[in-house]
Amino acid sequence: MTRLVVGPFNRVEGDLELTLDVADGVVAEARVTAPLFRGFEQILKGRPARDALVIAPRICGICSLSQSMAAAAVLRAAQEITPSPTGLLAADLAHAAENVADHLSHFYLFFMPDFCRAEYAAAPWHEAVAARFRAVTGSATEKFLPARTNLLHVVGILAGKWPHSLAVRPGGTTRAIDLGEKMRLLSAIAELRGFLERELFAAPLEAIAELSDPAALELLSENAGDFAAFLRLARSQGLYRLGVGQTPLTSAGAYRDTDPERPLFSAGLFDPTTSETHDVSFDAMTEDTASAWLSAPPVHPSAGETRPDTEKPAAYSWAKAPRLAGRPVEVGAVARQAVDGCPLVRALIARDGGTSVASRVIARLVETARVTLAMERWARALDLSAPFCVADVPERDGPVAGLVEAARGTLGHWVTIRDGTIARYQIVAPTTWNFSPRDAAGIPGPLEQTLVGTPVGDLGARAPAIQHVVRSFDPCMVCTAH
Amino acid sequence: MGAPIETFYQVIRRQGISRRSFVKFCSLTAASLGLGANGAATVANALETKPRVPVIWMHGLECTCCSESFIRSAHPLVKDVVLSMISLDYDDTIMAAAGHQADAILQETREKHKGGYILAVEGNPPLNEDGMYCIDGGRPFVEKLKEMAADSMAVIAWGACASWGCVQAAKPNPTHAVPIDKVIRDKPIIKVPGCPPIAEVMTGVVGYVVTFGKLPELDRQGRPKMFYSQRIHDKCYRRPHFDAGQFVEAWDDDGARKGYCLYKMGCKGPTTYNACSTTRWNDGVSFPIQSGHGCIGCSEDAFWDKGSFYDRLTNISAFGVEANADTIGIAAAGAVAAGLAVHAGVTAVRRLTGHDENTPPRG
Repeated sequence: MTRLVVGPFNRVEGDLELTLDVADGVVAEARVTAPLFRGFEQILKGRPARDALVIAPRICGICSLSQSMAAAAVLRAAQEITPSPTGLLAADLAHAAENVADHLSHFYLFFMPDFCRAEYAAAPWHEAVAARFRAVTGSATEKFLPARTNLLHVVGILAGKWPHSLAVRPGGTTRAIDLGEKMRLLSAIAELRGFLERELFAAPLEAIAELSDPAALELLSENAGDFAAFLRLARSQGLYRLGVGQTPLTSAGAYRDTDPERPLFSAGLFDPTTSETHDVSFDAMTEDTASAWLSAPPVHPSAGETRPDTEKPAAYSWAKAPRLAGRPVEVGAVARQAVDGCPLVRALIARDGGTSVASRVIARLVETARVTLAMERWARALDLSAPFCVADVPERDGPVAGLVEAARGTLGHWVTIRDGTIARYQIVAPTTWNFSPRDAAGIPGPLEQTLVGTPVGDLGARAPAIQHVVRSFDPCMVCTAH
Repeated sequence: MGAPIETFYQVIRRQGISRRSFVKFCSLTAASLGLGANGAATVANALETKPRVPVIWMHGLECTCCSESFIRSAHPLVKDVVLSMISLDYDDTIMAAAGHQADAILQETREKHKGGYILAVEGNPPLNEDGMYCIDGGRPFVEKLKEMAADSMAVIAWGACASWGCVQAAKPNPTHAVPIDKVIRDKPIIKVPGCPPIAEVMTGVVGYVVTFGKLPELDRQGRPKMFYSQRIHDKCYRRPHFDAGQFVEAWDDDGARKGYCLYKMGCKGPTTYNACSTTRWNDGVSFPIQSGHGCIGCSEDAFWDKGSFYDRLTNISAFGVEANADTIGIAAAGAVAAGLAVHAGVTAVRRLTGHDENTPPRG
């Protein structure tokens, strides 16, 4: 048995460290450390409730709008107001733009550059992949960055600046756009579609959204385009059998869509071992601090506390361990698509015996196609004569929750307000779920479980398989421990 | 010493950027730095003849928003060129190397360019518990920061975190996060505040430093004068409505749709020095005030602990540009000479109160 310490990781948001026990060239045990803590939950306490709209987004510079959306959902619940449908649509559109930008950044800037490494030089696909995806200088970068700029224009038009936008409110958004701006939204989304259909998929978005089984995916892998290049590489490198996850998958439901009765992606809990879907209740969750440098009993976040305890011998991370009905849960695009019933993602999970490095990436890109199509619908549906925002009213006292789906998965804010002031603020971010440490029962978090069995070979800490498994979750470490 | 360091021009030519793009970049940089008619030639000459100045970019306690702003900077050419310009000899978020290999690059750059590199710092060090709240590569970030700063030529403090502390330093500041000038005391530091700073301001600052091998002119608070010498309010496109006493009273009300002033919604534009109202954000598309929300003053020291973000300012001057960054700096330093400001503040309150009784008709 050898012990490896892997870190610092780059090309992730924030800092991350892994401790791996390796036996016979494969990972036998993994521990995930979130080494960065700022104390947002302590800082938010005692401040005016609405100031959370400014402070909470600053947890994260890449998913800041998701944090805004969760904070606004909290205040909306506490104000008990009916928000403006148009404002909600505008906020969803801006949020979708941030999420799609994150998915694409992950693929082009964070995930694919690992396949350009010298360790893969002998592989038949290496030369082309390296020329395309090498960090900073690869040929994809110059195509991708201008395409992403379109998404920032969408956020800019609807919400002012990005990151750390301010326009999202409990009652809608502060900016009523005009017809010229609506046309600019449509043209930015059209340009994004152009990039996706030319460079990423080399196929119409509708065809990607309708992919139904692994055979169709095989067929597509002979296409041009970056997605097909990934599919070929995934097949030859065995990425469908790498980082297999068997914990339940959950989603809080994402985007209201134009039909207020049904979100674009439904909420639920999906069991990858039985392919069954259940309703999900986040009332049944706890946050456990057994392995965190924090002292608190395992309670629901509506009763949670954040008290640093740096002397704790068993602790190895700043992250708490969220558990749903006592079990660790994987969140993210693969969970959202499985819960929503995407036939391709469900078929991959059934075939591979769980989520995998490949299916996490595929789900993210299929979702990108589905969300881009929805963004076109929403931009056309914006009613410019309707109000974009209804006025704030005083927040009622008591506990409230706001749950949204960020790019990386379920994000929840659990808040208690008293006399318009924050009495408690607890945040559970997507990577808190995915990269949680062991709980009091010794059950490892989702990444810790999926890393077991990962081949390390002679390369030790430099083994690329470790990088692939870790990055397949698209970690956001600054959100994890906040 | 090893081989001579390449010039910036050699580096970008090697990376396949054309002469034509290079010249265009020089014009853009010159324009953003306000260098006047011969500026482009000056920039081009410097980049063709001087060895490239290495830049090391480090991350402490942060949210990475500065990097996100920077790598999404508007003009793709500027972004490309600046990326290769600083080639980010070491940057955690986007570089290719991993783990200890990345740490090795850091040490190598430090030794090879001793006294000659720029250290760009995003985020800040927490001092409580011996720095345990931010461990990077098994060591407290604060140690790494001091070590890298010791051999640098100068330091860039990116954003509100490195410059002032930002929200993690907000009361009760659980980790004792401090701005970097509390731990780096013997190097020139240029502060580029904002949460995050505007991408064009960041590329402009890097462009200047790398082109001329020195820091641009700074104000008393250590900010580059070229970007932080005017208040948001002075160049705000809604300013005529402030002067006319026309204000937004509720989000997306009739006044909001007419583009009235956001002062009553808590806008901090009158006390905030930044380039948002001229340069704007995300390709010049918009900025917070244009989105119908007040400025929160995110480039100012202690913006996080000055009462609610939605409280109205009570200490602003209504006319002209009486105070500049320097006088604000003097005030901050304790040499308070605030007679004029107090007088103007009272005038403003009187004016605004008067208009309160005469709000423009709605509907």
